[in-house]
Amino acid sequence: MAGGNEITVNEAKMVVPLNTWILISNFKVAYNLLRRPDGTFNRHLAEFLDRKVTANTTPVDGVFSFDVIVDRATSLLSRIYRPAPADEAQTQAGVMELERPLSTEVVPVIIFFHGGSFAHSSANSAIYDTLCRRLVGICNAVVVSVNYRRSPENRYPCAYEDGWAALKWVNSRPWLQSGKESKVHIYLAGDSSGGNIAHHVALKAGESGIQVMGNILLNPMFGGQERTESEKRLDGKYFVTIQDRDWYWRAFLPAGADRDHPACNPFGPNGKSLKGVEFPKSLVVVAGLDLVQDWQLAYVEGLKKAGQDVNLIYLEQATIGFYLLPNNNHFYTVMEEIKRFVNSNC
Amino acid sequence: MGPYDYGISAGSSSSSSSSCAGGKPTELDGLLAGAGYKVRSSDLHQVAQRLEKLETFMVNAPTEISQLASEAVHYNPSDLASWVDSMLSEINQPFPVSSSDLSDFSDFHYMDDLVTPPLQHEVLTDAWADQSAQQQQPQPPLQQQQLTVVAAIEEDSGIKLVHLLLTCAESIQRGDLALAGTLLEKMRALLSRVNTGCGIGKVAGYFIDALSRRLFSPQAVCAGSVLENEILYHHFYEACPYLKFAHFTANQAILEAFDGHDCVHVVDFNLMHGLQWPALIQALALRPGGPPLLRLTGIGPPSPDGRDSLREIGLKLAELARSVNVRFAFRGVAASRLDDVKPWMLQVGPREAVAINSIMQLHKLLGPDPNRGSPIDSVLGWVRSLNPKIITVVEQEANHNQPEFLDRFTEALYYYSTMFDSLESCTLQPEKAVAEMYIQREICNVVSCEGSARVERHEPLAKWRARLGGAGFRPLHLGSNAFKQASMLLTLFSAEGYCVEENQGCLTLGWHSRPLIAASAWQAVPLPDTNSLPTINDCVL
Repeated sequence: MAGGNEITVNEAKMVVPLNTWILISNFKVAYNLLRRPDGTFNRHLAEFLDRKVTANTTPVDGVFSFDVIVDRATSLLSRIYRPAPADEAQTQAGVMELERPLSTEVVPVIIFFHGGSFAHSSANSAIYDTLCRRLVGICNAVVVSVNYRRSPENRYPCAYEDGWAALKWVNSRPWLQSGKESKVHIYLAGDSSGGNIAHHVALKAGESGIQVMGNILLNPMFGGQERTESEKRLDGKYFVTIQDRDWYWRAFLPAGADRDHPACNPFGPNGKSLKGVEFPKSLVVVAGLDLVQDWQLAYVEGLKKAGQDVNLIYLEQATIGFYLLPNNNHFYTVMEEIKRFVNSNC
Repeated sequence: MGPYDYGISAGSSSSSSSSCAGGKPTELDGLLAGAGYKVRSSDLHQVAQRLEKLETFMVNAPTEISQLASEAVHYNPSDLASWVDSMLSEINQPFPVSSSDLSDFSDFHYMDDLVTPPLQHEVLTDAWADQSAQQQQPQPPLQQQQLTVVAAIEEDSGIKLVHLLLTCAESIQRGDLALAGTLLEKMRALLSRVNTGCGIGKVAGYFIDALSRRLFSPQAVCAGSVLENEILYHHFYEACPYLKFAHFTANQAILEAFDGHDCVHVVDFNLMHGLQWPALIQALALRPGGPPLLRLTGIGPPSPDGRDSLREIGLKLAELARSVNVRFAFRGVAASRLDDVKPWMLQVGPREAVAINSIMQLHKLLGPDPNRGSPIDSVLGWVRSLNPKIITVVEQEANHNQPEFLDRFTEALYYYSTMFDSLESCTLQPEKAVAEMYIQREICNVVSCEGSARVERHEPLAKWRARLGGAGFRPLHLGSNAFKQASMLLTLFSAEGYCVEENQGCLTLGWHSRPLIAASAWQAVPLPDTNSLPTINDCVL
């Protein structure tokens, strides 16, 4: 793709605001440094470059956060984001009560899995801390951002196991219950690899009898052995290449597996139908300039064919990462849809 | 705030926010700031251009990528413009000058290449610890800056204790000492029902003691004798990695600053047992081109029993230096307070490259002193006058010097809870028990002392940046090489859960996601009439 690179760089700049282009290009450049051809990952440099923020129990824009250990055995941390109480008097001795029970009104609890193609970012990465805070404000929800183990150091199924551990933890917190039935109203959400994790955790939840009210998948990361039309057409054009997608799958999937592994391709030749399976309603957001959209659309088709409730939002001119900065219409469109999705209780 | 400003200031304490549309050109782009990157709005186009250039390079010369990744040293990723520029300049110079690493860890320079099938946990670390932590007892997980979440069995008592502690502190602040006393009794009673061996029970006990002291015996001195302090310090050094990290990171920066200098002089603001210096001496011994003449001036309190303990340490270090063929000279400066030290006592030579090393000393100068003006200003003033090549500063990353008592107390409760939690992973005894006493002394000072007796006036990195910047210093950024070596050091010597983070050119070490100690390096901003700095030349001995 070397020859076409000059053109593609300008193309991408034409469809996203300048600061977004800088942000995502910066990631692209940095990530190029971190992926080694032999499949190893420069974790030290990755952690050095990643911009992180601490949790903050002092409300900022009406949201405060704190970290919890969900599972000491795996050092699994999660960051909890809550709306600050409107009433000052509710804080005891001037200190936020972190585990104050939610109200009798239904408060959705969104378990969020950050993106990063299974290898990058953390729950305390600045971009995801910011995104989770926005979700709290927009949806009036509690957000639990899971710091799942990443590849290549921890391959499949570690991320799914961590997601499942977080789900069980959330489901068993009395202070996250709300509504008349006093239960935790759980939604699973994630972008990129996080969306993939949300799907698999929802599957496990269904098998185990924990109710998930809905799945929100933002540009979810799926794939397959075949090279789809969108992959060929958009390769290298909007920040992402087939080559880097392949690298991340090789880093996440078990050694020797190919991209038709069900983790990567849930409705592919090794997948299984979800017909009759307990599965939450899904909101799937697909960016029209994301090269893996054919896989994402195939995912939506797979859910539909199985008779599952799925709502697709296809954003023709959106690229990956459009939801990271609130400087474009796609952001607001999607946030509105998410808000509606978690506030319509079924 | 307009619709496009939503969440600009979201939680990120270090970003300066501005609206993205119509803001002043010198302001930072607010949205990028929220993502952790400081880019001036007026620079956006330039940064984009340079990123493009870098991307093109990377596509056309993929072998450059591995070089950028493994050899180039990266600095201050928050400053996106300079990060991109530094990589562009790396590409233009195919042979980067690499600085010497500390000899002890020179192996690790190559570890990247020797290792790693993807599951090599020992080498690759995750900032929030990917790997299993072996915990023998059920322990309440502790978090930064807030109420602790305790194990199910203790849940009610633990949370109640924290509530009572905070209420007690608040009543002290209000002046309702009778209520405070009652609460103390309640807490002691509660304490007897809680497991004081670990977690909230242990740390609450120390805070209850400190509050009692504040109420009933405020004149009682928190500090021990000089000898006691040294013993506590030494055990704290062994039991957990905070001081090792401090020494290691400072040494790395000093080593780099001394590159090319033949005569170097380190001034240590608190010599203690000189634990920091053997590694530096060894690293200097092994540096390409041979070691410089090293002078070390160690400042420390006068020994009460007539021993010259400073000199004793100096002799030991001299012996070590001799054994590795490093020309070495030591001078001890006995002073009970840093602001008692006068620059002439340090006898800095005109051609020496000077490093000032302050490990957790500067905060002690923030107390009020009616007789002396501002101790911190006077010390920073004479430091600057020495025109040092580098000043290494390590400080507790905590806000324990806030004007309101309740704020300080709350911060301390969370800070030390986190630190105690990290200590739980230590299995060395008696190091662990004595290290706890070391921490307990600090707690005592923060909570029960006031005025000039309260010396543990910790301030966070952001405040030190402002203070040092205002005193005529500019940051020397600690880079990815120091970060990597610090991370590797941790995986070797410490339990899971510790993490190193980069913070705008500084490095922090923390437990889980809470930074507890911050290391930074500084240089004096050149005064207009400054002479050129010493380079390789003859020294007057």
